[in-house]
Amino acid sequence: MKKLISFKNVVKEFNGNVVLKGINLDIYENEFVTLLGPSGCGKTTLLRILGGFLDATSGSVLFDGTDISKVPAYKRPINTVFQKYALFPHLNVYDNIAFGLKIKKEPKDIIEQKVMRMLSLVNLEGFEKRNVTLLSGGQQQRVAIARALVNEPEVLLLDEPLGALDLKLRKEMQRELKRIQQEVGITFIFVTHDQEEALTMSDKIVVMKEGEIQQIGTPTDVYNEPVNTYVATFVGESNIIEGTMLADRQVRFDDKNYECVDTGFKQNEPVDIVIRPEDIDIVPLRQGILNGTVKSVLFKGVHYEVMVETVSGTSKTVKMHVNANHDTTNPDAGEKISANDFFIDLEDLTDDLTDADLITRASAQAWDENDELLSISKVSHTFENKPGSYAVTFETAKGTAISVKAIVIEPDNLEDEKTNTGIAAYDFTVTIDDIKDSVALDTDLKMWANATAWSLEDDSPIDIVEVDYDFDDETIAEGSYSITFRTKGRVFKIHTTDKVEEDARVALKFAPEDIHVMRKEVG
Amino acid sequence: MKSFARLTIPYIIWITVLIVIPMLMIVLYAFTKDGTLLSFSFTLDNFLRFFQDAIFPSVLWRSLVIAVVTTIICLLIGYPVAYGIAKMKNHQQATIILLITFPMWINMLVRTYAWRGILSASGLSADMKVYIGMVYNFLPFMILQIHGSLSKMDNSLIQAAYDLGANKLETFKRVVLPLSIPGVLSGITLVFLPAVSSFFIPKLLGGGDFVLIGNLIENYFITTNDWNFGSAISLIMAIVVLVSMYLTKRADKNVGESEDA
Repeated sequence: MKKLISFKNVVKEFNGNVVLKGINLDIYENEFVTLLGPSGCGKTTLLRILGGFLDATSGSVLFDGTDISKVPAYKRPINTVFQKYALFPHLNVYDNIAFGLKIKKEPKDIIEQKVMRMLSLVNLEGFEKRNVTLLSGGQQQRVAIARALVNEPEVLLLDEPLGALDLKLRKEMQRELKRIQQEVGITFIFVTHDQEEALTMSDKIVVMKEGEIQQIGTPTDVYNEPVNTYVATFVGESNIIEGTMLADRQVRFDDKNYECVDTGFKQNEPVDIVIRPEDIDIVPLRQGILNGTVKSVLFKGVHYEVMVETVSGTSKTVKMHVNANHDTTNPDAGEKISANDFFIDLEDLTDDLTDADLITRASAQAWDENDELLSISKVSHTFENKPGSYAVTFETAKGTAISVKAIVIEPDNLEDEKTNTGIAAYDFTVTIDDIKDSVALDTDLKMWANATAWSLEDDSPIDIVEVDYDFDDETIAEGSYSITFRTKGRVFKIHTTDKVEEDARVALKFAPEDIHVMRKEVG
Repeated sequence: MKSFARLTIPYIIWITVLIVIPMLMIVLYAFTKDGTLLSFSFTLDNFLRFFQDAIFPSVLWRSLVIAVVTTIICLLIGYPVAYGIAKMKNHQQATIILLITFPMWINMLVRTYAWRGILSASGLSADMKVYIGMVYNFLPFMILQIHGSLSKMDNSLIQAAYDLGANKLETFKRVVLPLSIPGVLSGITLVFLPAVSSFFIPKLLGGGDFVLIGNLIENYFITTNDWNFGSAISLIMAIVVLVSMYLTKRADKNVGESEDA
């Protein structure tokens, strides 16, 4: 195949914003090339530079070996299918398609022949007199393709042309575009953020991120051998695990060694590992290489998406003291107020601690005689900077007040070195009504216990995904209850056609070649 | 929707009382003579009088010529200006549009008086002075209408034209111009209509003996108190205006349907 287009170190800046950071890319004749990436990755900018609608800040674009940077758009042997089609609303289908030929002053009968041929290529025979503004999205799309192709360009640029179509039509147009490309035999450069579209149609996929090319390869290369976690997550679904490469063909993650097929890494090099959900099998216990618990099962049509936890998350258990309801009534103002004793971490006693925080911790609430919630306008406290028991008073605008105990304790964090997670939560006191009135109990429990988790590496917050308790919130009575807060452990996403039960203990199985080891992304 | 439709009732009453009834009265006056609303006799004399005396058709003709020339001048100045404005950055556009509408905050009559002062010692012919006054007063309508249609034009259409091999001139001829025609036509309507019926601009700038159809009507209603003849002239002018509006509409349709150069 002959090289048709070369981007040489193309850089594009908008007002000091670098959108393309030195793109080097070769495109060959008859290729269906897809530029794939999220919005803002520079793919459309690259396309527009090739189309001649933008100038590169530096670098050059070679077409057939000659620099076309200075060639205006209308002189390039390139045509574009625009994102919103950009059909001329004042012209009918025929005149839209004939536009480029009329500019070239081709004879009328030749124009007619070519337009008719294009109409049949895009399956729009008989539409020539139609008003383009009254066509459906798919039909407009076809007109746009015909209008571009009738000029017999050497390259057709397509700027997310399927974005505005519904799913069924999009699938149809994907096949259609591929057919048209094979029939006319020219280079198509297709821009999309839809990985499935890219995998379906392309000969070559160029994965981009923040103005840089991450990977260039065939759809199977990019899917099976992603170069980094970015490509692995953007193209297809994946389980990404941090691990260490012990030696060639041997990798370690979650305290276990696995055989793999990758080589060429340094000894003990930290790596990212990707295992595709469809490459993992769920098998009975003792028949696999990893055991775990089924956390959730989602039906996805062709398959089930099963989440299996193989390493449980970091957890902390606290006591919840449930008291009888103890509203304080202020008959003069016709108001009621309630609040609970609570525990608070010494470290939290900073200037950042707001009244709203204290109201949340104490679950303080006030009502008027119609049971409408009132705002608590004043919070006073006697905190000192050492552990102990202090009074906190909540008051409404009309002077209805309640005092509770705030017990200040030393921080009691649990740090789990193995999962690199820290977690903290505190015992707390609530009333029966607090529990019964809660709309989202798990969230409220997290708030009352001030449960938080963070990464030991960089202090970034980690979600607490599980709240376990063994009471029924409808029939709860006074007493003490245990509540466990847990972060997410190692969870594998698995695509399988066999249904499994939630909470079942299962084993997972995958082959050495299903483990794909990638270098860590720099930066 | 129905309940919203009821909101138009006050307006319908308003236009019935202030526009429809007076119009019907003009028609009535035009086809009658003497008399009052209670005793009148039908006649076509008013129209015969208009066409028998050569002076009246020639005034009508002169009014039409002045209105058409004014419209053409406004179009020739207004289109390039509107095009230039539409090419500017958004905030610049807003500023320029503000500057163009700025003089309209002052009463048109007052501005025309100002022009009378400016032009009095210029030695220009009465015709020239009237043209200057008309173009000055009506140009903003042309610019605003054309700018409106140019600025909302999808830029990707222009890029598509370049992409298909059209250079700047061809892009303008085949895409920009045809798509701006609706704006041009409404600009023409908005300039032509007031220009053809204007009476104070010719009166103030053209001098006492500069008579256009608007002045004639004013004269017969106010000075001569011959409402019947005044109504007939009004009716004739209304028909001329209706015909020209119909022709403009037709032109709009034709541009929409046929292309090819």
